[in-house]
Amino acid sequence: MDRTDVGALVRSAVDGETAAWKALVEGLSPLVWSVVRAHRLSEADGHEVYQTVWFRFAQHLGRIREPEKAGSWIASTARNECLKVLKSLRRLTPTDDPQLLDRASDEPTPEQSVLDAEEAAVQSERVRFLWQELEALGDRCRQLLRVLISSPPPSYQEVSSALGIAVGSIGPMRQRCLRRLRARLDARGAL
Amino acid sequence: MSDDRFDDGFGGRFDDGLDDALDDGFEDDEFDLGSLEEELRQAAAILDPVPAELCRIAVEAYALHDLDARIAELTFDSLTDAIPVRGAEDVPRMLTFHTGGLTVDVEVSEEGLLGQLLPPQSASVEVLHGPRAGASLTADAMGRFVCPTPPTGPFALRLRTGGEVVVTEWMRA
Repeated sequence: MDRTDVGALVRSAVDGETAAWKALVEGLSPLVWSVVRAHRLSEADGHEVYQTVWFRFAQHLGRIREPEKAGSWIASTARNECLKVLKSLRRLTPTDDPQLLDRASDEPTPEQSVLDAEEAAVQSERVRFLWQELEALGDRCRQLLRVLISSPPPSYQEVSSALGIAVGSIGPMRQRCLRRLRARLDARGAL
Repeated sequence: MSDDRFDDGFGGRFDDGLDDALDDGFEDDEFDLGSLEEELRQAAAILDPVPAELCRIAVEAYALHDLDARIAELTFDSLTDAIPVRGAEDVPRMLTFHTGGLTVDVEVSEEGLLGQLLPPQSASVEVLHGPRAGASLTADAMGRFVCPTPPTGPFALRLRTGGEVVVTEWMRA
């Protein structure tokens, strides 16, 4: 989301405009969700983190010092909560447990929603390929791309807050990761 | 490249094994990569959207916006601030919230929630789980309060003491 937009919406929401709050939820929810997904939390943990972030954002709304950076505020809050979840899991389970490092969703695969739309069969196959290759990418690339592709596109400052990487390295990493993905799609003959 | 910082403590175990030689000698066209990114963005919107019920909860969370209450900030969390005891399991989560002259110590375990206000004082305490009203408790004259069930999911405590309203930062127990 555009920073000036975010700043204006935060100020309007502080002044009691419900529509502004809704616009913030619409504009920043996909970013929060992408951070949760990038950290591969279980469905239940992911939902709780998402809620905690929004409850805390609502609570702090009138006290956020730089409203135009609310996207970064929310992204780093999401990241911190995700790391806390991972830390509490690690405390309960041996660190080497592969399940912990690759906690898949407990729910049926989201691909189902695409399968249902038969008229879009060809296009959906391509979408599924893309998604499979994204999931199979190394974790650093998968994390970065998952956050970058939230909609509307996040700023690099927000991505930096979401993943704890320097703003300056996001551009080069993005290129590298997209190239890798393209190579994998190439190899699969899906390009 | 400083992407070594990008690992949240998992070490370098997430490399996908693709040779980095791939990165060199590539006449990069940003246009191509940009459209691949856009295609991924559309795929994310189709395959992994924000669950509708979560959006609804976030919209309703606007009701938690309360300018009159003072926020007691989290100043200690045993999960991140304490050195873990090797082999100790089921250690209670200790949280400390602070605002002005008031400190709220909270211990969360399977048995429930134990609280202590400092300086000791009586208060009415509400355990919030979202925008709707939560369980009501009372802190005794010694500042102690007990909730027999542990909070599930995000929670906050709203305290009324001496004409003032204090709310602890939202936490996930």
